[in-house]
Amino acid sequence: MTEPARETSALDAVVSLVETVLEDFDTVELLTEFSERCVQLLDVAAAGFLLADPLDQLRLLAATTERARELELFQLQADEGPCVDCYSTGKPVSVADLTEAAGRWPRFVPAALEAGFASVHAVPMRAAGLVLGALGLFGSGPGELGDADRLVAQTLAHVASVALLREHAPTPSTVIPQLRAVLASRVLIEQAKGFLRETLDVSVEEAFAVLRAYARANNEHLTAVARRLMTDRHARPVLVAAIAEFATSPRP
Amino acid sequence: MAIHDELLAAVDGKRGVDAADRLCEACVTLFDVDAAAISLVFDGANSGTLGSSGEPARQYDELQFILGEGPCLDSVSSRAPVLVVDLADLDEARWPVYGPAMLDLKVRGVYAMPVLVAGEYIGALDLFRAQPRRLEDHHFAGAIAAAELASLPLLDLLDTDMQAAFGDPNSDAWADLHTLSRAEVSQATGMLVAQLGIEPAEALVRLRAHAYATGRSATDVARDILDRRLRLGEED
Repeated sequence: MTEPARETSALDAVVSLVETVLEDFDTVELLTEFSERCVQLLDVAAAGFLLADPLDQLRLLAATTERARELELFQLQADEGPCVDCYSTGKPVSVADLTEAAGRWPRFVPAALEAGFASVHAVPMRAAGLVLGALGLFGSGPGELGDADRLVAQTLAHVASVALLREHAPTPSTVIPQLRAVLASRVLIEQAKGFLRETLDVSVEEAFAVLRAYARANNEHLTAVARRLMTDRHARPVLVAAIAEFATSPRP
Repeated sequence: MAIHDELLAAVDGKRGVDAADRLCEACVTLFDVDAAAISLVFDGANSGTLGSSGEPARQYDELQFILGEGPCLDSVSSRAPVLVVDLADLDEARWPVYGPAMLDLKVRGVYAMPVLVAGEYIGALDLFRAQPRRLEDHHFAGAIAAAELASLPLLDLLDTDMQAAFGDPNSDAWADLHTLSRAEVSQATGMLVAQLGIEPAEALVRLRAHAYATGRSATDVARDILDRRLRLGEED
């Protein structure tokens, strides 16, 4: 992409994402879209948002990929990696050539190289004087994240933080329970993916695609559908039938 | 030692009621409160106190089940912490029976942090204070961390086989929580719900029990379930 074209598309993306934040939205769905935008706008192959739980452990909230090997890279960062360093310092981390970081992250680097990545970057998510988590970016080729790309990434991370906290003026006593509630919705969405994998006999990736498409088509939040499916045993049979019918009907 | 490390040290190597009691005692020491209890709520009805820092804590907590109202029930139904600085404050008259009963017992402040298992709000960590004082931010953050850890003893106690209820000197609460929070474990939990017609909390208990029984990690067991290499049956 040429520079002016890239700037325009970055601004375009930010405008549409901020518009989404001003409306009613589902947080996991929105951050999944944000991570997809990162890959379109930046010179990276995968992106994901990691959020700290109450014990300061980073947990995956949304990512561009459902591929097991890449999910593993995000989840490995509960222990070590660019997102952990970014989270603990509150500062961006950029490693242009992963092969030179093997000493810094002895478990993360081999896994990332194995998965076909050559560079990694992370920008922090912040509010109320707290670091909430990090946006992790994986490049398939070596190289720095340019200034323009870093700004776009940081902007997306800021908008994502606003989205996470939109309901209240942030203080520690509002921020922490909200983050916890969002992590709980991620758990329900993962459960719903497994549930649909079994009932529809599809892969986990396909199950997520069906769940997202079903929620969109019915103008419902992804989390609301997952919660009903997993925690409301009376509503479950009807909902399963509706999703199964939706999954087999032709879609545009 | 940082608050998180103290909390982890309190439960490491312990399971079930023992772990719950130790966690409550740590809360009293760390958060400047007078009593702490962990209770489990199913289907909106409070089904019991599991752990406590001592007899008074148990009494304050159980009063909620007898009266059918209180901070634990509210925090589960609202899926959020309940923080009442002073029960004697007339603006805080949210529990017409429980409030005066607690004042009679010389308790002024009550704070409840919800406890989640398998993404569901199924219990609460209740803290009690004789003096009406706001819970400071770092104590609040610590209490939420304690509530996060409290999901482990709750899982132990939901396991009716009780194979997990015995102390395990090698158990590592941090590693346990880390494993159980992984995407594959939640996905496999969802598959078990569909396969066995059970609820998510029970499905997670079954997955974890199978991991213990076979000496494998919950993540490995989850991957086998997802890849259909393993099917937990009625015998598990």
